[in-house]
Amino acid sequence: MPMTEALREYFGHITDVVKTFWEGMTVTLSYMVRRPITVQYPDRTAQRVADTLPSRYRGLLEVDINVCTGCMACERACPISVIKISTDKDPSNLKQRVIAQFDIDESKCMFCGLCVEPCPTGAIQHTREFESTMKSVDNLVFRWIPDPKNPAPFYRPVKGQDAPRAPVGEILRQRMAKADWTARGGIFPVTGPERKG
Amino acid sequence: MSTDTTPDTTIDMNLDRHILRRTDGNDEEIVVNFGPQHPSTHGVINFVTQTNGEVIRRSVPEIGYLHRGLEKIGELVAYPGYMPFTDRIDYLAAMFANEGYAVAVERLLGIEAPLRAQYIRAISCELCRIASHFISIGTMAQDIGAATPLTHALRERESINDLLEELCGARLTYNFLRIGGVAFDVPVGWTDKVLRFLDHLESYIQEWDRLITFNKIFVKRLAGVGVITRDQAIDYGLVGPNLRGSGVKFDIRRDMPYGAYPNFEFNIPVGTGKVGTVGDCWDRFFVRVQEVVESSKIIRQAIAKLPEGDIQAKVARKLKPEVGEAVGQVESARGEMLYYIVSDGSEKAYRLRVRTGSFMAMGIIEELSHGIMVADLIAIIASLDVVAPEVDR
Amino acid sequence: MRITLGLDSTSLTRRYPRLAVLATLFMAFVAPLGLYIGALVFFPLNTPERLDAMAKQWLGFDLAASHYRHLVYAVFLLLVAFVAVNFTAVFGGVSTWVERRVAGRMQSRIGPNRTSAAGFLAWVADAVKMVLKEDTVPASADQLLFRGAPYFSMVGLLLPFVVMPFGESVVATNMNVGVFYIMAVTAFVVVGILISGWSSNSNWALFGAVRGAAQVISYEIPAGIALMVPVLMAGSLSMQDIVRAQGGMPWDWFVFRNPAAFVAFFISVTSSLAEGNRTPFDLPEAESELVAGYHAEYSGFRLAIFLMVEWANMWIMAGLAVTLFLGGWQVPFVASETYKAALGAGLVPTPSWFGLQALSMLVFSLKTWGLVIVFIWLRWTLPRVRVDQMMSLCWKYLVPGAFLCFVVTLLWQLLVPPLGNTVTGVVLSLVAFVLLAKFLLATYRNIGRVKGDRVDLTNW
Repeated sequence: MPMTEALREYFGHITDVVKTFWEGMTVTLSYMVRRPITVQYPDRTAQRVADTLPSRYRGLLEVDINVCTGCMACERACPISVIKISTDKDPSNLKQRVIAQFDIDESKCMFCGLCVEPCPTGAIQHTREFESTMKSVDNLVFRWIPDPKNPAPFYRPVKGQDAPRAPVGEILRQRMAKADWTARGGIFPVTGPERKG
Repeated sequence: MSTDTTPDTTIDMNLDRHILRRTDGNDEEIVVNFGPQHPSTHGVINFVTQTNGEVIRRSVPEIGYLHRGLEKIGELVAYPGYMPFTDRIDYLAAMFANEGYAVAVERLLGIEAPLRAQYIRAISCELCRIASHFISIGTMAQDIGAATPLTHALRERESINDLLEELCGARLTYNFLRIGGVAFDVPVGWTDKVLRFLDHLESYIQEWDRLITFNKIFVKRLAGVGVITRDQAIDYGLVGPNLRGSGVKFDIRRDMPYGAYPNFEFNIPVGTGKVGTVGDCWDRFFVRVQEVVESSKIIRQAIAKLPEGDIQAKVARKLKPEVGEAVGQVESARGEMLYYIVSDGSEKAYRLRVRTGSFMAMGIIEELSHGIMVADLIAIIASLDVVAPEVDR
Repeated sequence: MRITLGLDSTSLTRRYPRLAVLATLFMAFVAPLGLYIGALVFFPLNTPERLDAMAKQWLGFDLAASHYRHLVYAVFLLLVAFVAVNFTAVFGGVSTWVERRVAGRMQSRIGPNRTSAAGFLAWVADAVKMVLKEDTVPASADQLLFRGAPYFSMVGLLLPFVVMPFGESVVATNMNVGVFYIMAVTAFVVVGILISGWSSNSNWALFGAVRGAAQVISYEIPAGIALMVPVLMAGSLSMQDIVRAQGGMPWDWFVFRNPAAFVAFFISVTSSLAEGNRTPFDLPEAESELVAGYHAEYSGFRLAIFLMVEWANMWIMAGLAVTLFLGGWQVPFVASETYKAALGAGLVPTPSWFGLQALSMLVFSLKTWGLVIVFIWLRWTLPRVRVDQMMSLCWKYLVPGAFLCFVVTLLWQLLVPPLGNTVTGVVLSLVAFVLLAKFLLATYRNIGRVKGDRVDLTNW
C-alpha cells in the first residue's frame, strides 16, 4: 500500500538524519581531544624549522665560490635564466680565468633544482633555508661575488678527490646571521656603485 | 514569474562586458557573475549566470584568467628544462603532469625508463593522486557547507606532502621526474614511512565516510544533482572520475597501459547510483573516495615488488629528437592528461599541446546548468573537480 | 635570526608579556563579570516597588510621593538597558573567541592563541579593527535604507533581553506575555536582513536577503508552535512562571516531563537555528556560495553590527530553549521558598538573597553556554541544506511535528495525572543519560579506530 510505503520513507528520513547527526558529532567531538597538527611557527617550535626539513629540501641556493669551476653548466641548465655568470681573465696571471660575477636572482628562481644537477663539484646547492624576506625585491639578487674587484679563480678539480665544499647551508646561514636585512643589497650588501644587469 | 528553462536564443552574449543581455528587453531575470573571485569556483573562473530568482536559466563559464602561456613556453625552453613548467600546468597533481611530459618525450626519443624508475614513478604518482583527491573531496565538502572535512583532508594531505618532500625536495611543484627516469632514488627508510602512512590512511577513510560521505544532508544535496549520462559523458569528452562516475569503466592505466601499471592489480571504481542516479554528483565524489583506497593498494604492491636497478636511462644533456611527433597519455587525478609534442629536430619543441581533464569538464557545465538552482551549480562545479590552472594553462 | 623590516615590529604582547596577561584577565573577567554583576544588581531592582523601598530604606527619601519618580525610574531603566546592550556586545565578542577555538580544535588546528593570553582579546582587536575601517556605501545603493538596515537587526536582537530571565528575580521586566513578546520581537531581525539586501542594490545581496526572508518567516511557525508546548505545561506565557513550574533536577525539566515536549525541544532548537541563520541553515550568508549574502556590501561598524547580531542571537536562542525546556535558572536542591526566606521582611533585598540570585544566574549561564557550544559544534559538523530542502523540512516535517506535539501536550495535560509527569520525567532523563553515555563512549572509540591517533591534549 503506497501509504505505508510513504510513511516508512517519511520516518526513515527522520531516523537517517538523527543517525547522521550522531555519527558526525561523535567524530568532531573526538577531535577536540586529539592533537592539532598546527606547527606554531616561528616561535613555539621545538627546533628551528629550517633544521627539521629533509636534506633534499630545495630551499634558497647557495654557491661555495671556492669550488666553482666556472663551467657555467648551471647557467645553461636554468630554464628561466636566473643565474648570471661572467668570467674574465685574471689580469695578474693571464693563464688563470676568474669568475667576475655570479648573481642568482632568487626572486625569479622557481627552486626546480635543474642547476644543481649538472654542477661537477657540487658548488651550487639548495639549502634548507627559506626565510628571505627583504625590504626590497632588488635585495633578493644573491651576489656570490660580492665585490667585482675581488673575483674568484676557477677551481681546478683534483682527480680522484671530492671537491672540498663547505657543508651545505653554512655559508648562507653565516651570511644571514650577521647581515642587516634592510641594507642595500640585503644579506649581500652592495658596497660599490649600482651595478647594472 | 516564468519557469521556462529552455535555453534562450534571444540572449546576446557579450562576454567582453561580462553580461548576458536580453535582446527583448525583459528584465525579470538577473545576471550574476560567479567569480572570477569566488570561494567556490576552484580558481579564477567566471561563470556568467542568468537566473530567475533561485533557478538558473543558463550559466556560461568564462575562462582564461589563469592563462600563463605554458604551451608557448614549451616552444621556448629546451626539453629537459620544461619539466618544472609541467608542474604548473596542474599544481595540485603535479606528478602526473611531469609523467605525461616524460612519457611523451620518451616516446619521441624511442627510449624507455628503467623498471625501477617506473616503479618509483608509480609510487609517487599514486601518492600524488591521493593528495589531489583529498583536495577535491575536501573542497567539495566545503562548498556544500561543511568546513571541517576540508581541514581534515588537508591534514592527511600534509603527510603526503611531507613524504614527497623527503623524496624530491618540494611539496607542491615536485619536478621529480626526468626524461628517461626519475631524479632521485628512494631515501633509506622512506618506504617504511609510506607504509605506515597507508595504514593510517586506510583506517582514516572509514572515519571520513562516517563524517561526510554518508551524511544525510550531504547525500541529499548531491544525489540526483548534475546527472551526466553515459552518452553525454562520452560526447563531451569527459575523462577520469567524471567519466567513471557516469558508469563508463575507462582508465588509461588499464586500457592504454604505460609505465609499471600492467604489474599491479587494482579495481576501477565506477559510479553505481548508490544513493541517487548513476552519474550524479555523489557518484563522482564517491568514485574519488574509492580511488584513494585503490591507489593505496597500488602503492603497497609497488613497494613490495620494487626492483633494483638504475633510476635514469642514458639521455643526452642537449636533447635533439628526430623530426616527428609523439603523444603521451597518463591517467591523472583529474582524468586523462595528454601531451602532444611535435619536434622539428632542434632542442626545443616545435609545438607542445596539453589536453587536460578539467578543460573538457568545463564544456558540460553550460549543458547541465539549465533549470538548476544556484546551490546545485556550485555542487556540480565542485564534483567535476575543475581546477583553473588545468583549464587555462 | 629575527626578521625585521627596518622598524621594530615586535608586538606589545611579546615585549610586555605580564601586561598582556593582566590585560587579558581584566577583559576576560572584569568586563563580563562586571556586566553580570551589573545585571545581578540592577535587573531585580528594576521595579517601582523595590526602587521606592530602596530609596526609603537607604536614602530616607520617599520616592513614591515625589514628582520626579518617573524620571528616577527612567534613569534606572536606562541603566538596565545599558547593561543589557553591553552584555550583548561582550557576549557576541566572547562567543566568537569560543567559536574560533572550538572550531579550530575540531578541525585539527588551534584557533587564535597569540593576541593575548590564549588569544582571548582577538575579539576586541577585531571589533576595534572593524570600527576603524572605511565606511563604504555603494553609490547606487539606497542611501538611507542602507545606512539604517543594521539597526533593525540590532533592535530585533536586543529586545528579547527585556524578558530573558537570568536568575530568580534577575529579569529586566517580568512581562506576563513574555513568550508571546519574544516571538513577536525576533521578527525584527528579518526586517533588517531584507532591507539590507534590497538597499544594497547588488544581485548577491538580494539573493541572500530573499533566501533569508523566506527562511526566517517559514521557521517562525514551527518555532512558535513548539514554544506553545511549555506554555501549555506551565499554564502561563510569562517566562518566569514557566521556569518556576520546572525544578532544578533534570527530571523536573519540561523537556523530560512529557514525550511531546521532548520532541518539541528538538523542533524548537532546529527552528531557532534556522531563525538565527546558523549552519545547517546559513543559506542567507552561505559563505561558499554567496560569499557574504545580505551583508556583502557592508564594511566597518555596520558590518560589525550584523556580525554581532548573528553571534549574540545564539544567546537568545539558547536562553530561550534553556528557559522553556531545560529548567532555566532553577538550582538543584534550592526550592522557591529559600528565595523568599532570604528576601527577609521588606522588599529591599539582603546580601544572602543576592547570593542566591547569583547562584541561579550561574546555573542559567552554564546551561546557556552549554547549549551555545552545542550550536557551535553543530555548525562545524554539518553541511548546509539547499533552499528547497530547507523549505520542505520546515513545512513537511517541522510544522506537522509541532502541531502533533501541541495536540499531544493538550491531551496529556488533560488526561495524565501529575504522577505520570514525574514518572515520565525520571524515565526520559534516564534515557537521556544513557544516550549521553553511549555518545561519549562512541566518541572515545572514534579515536582508537584511526591508526596512529590517540588522546593528546598538547599544542594549545
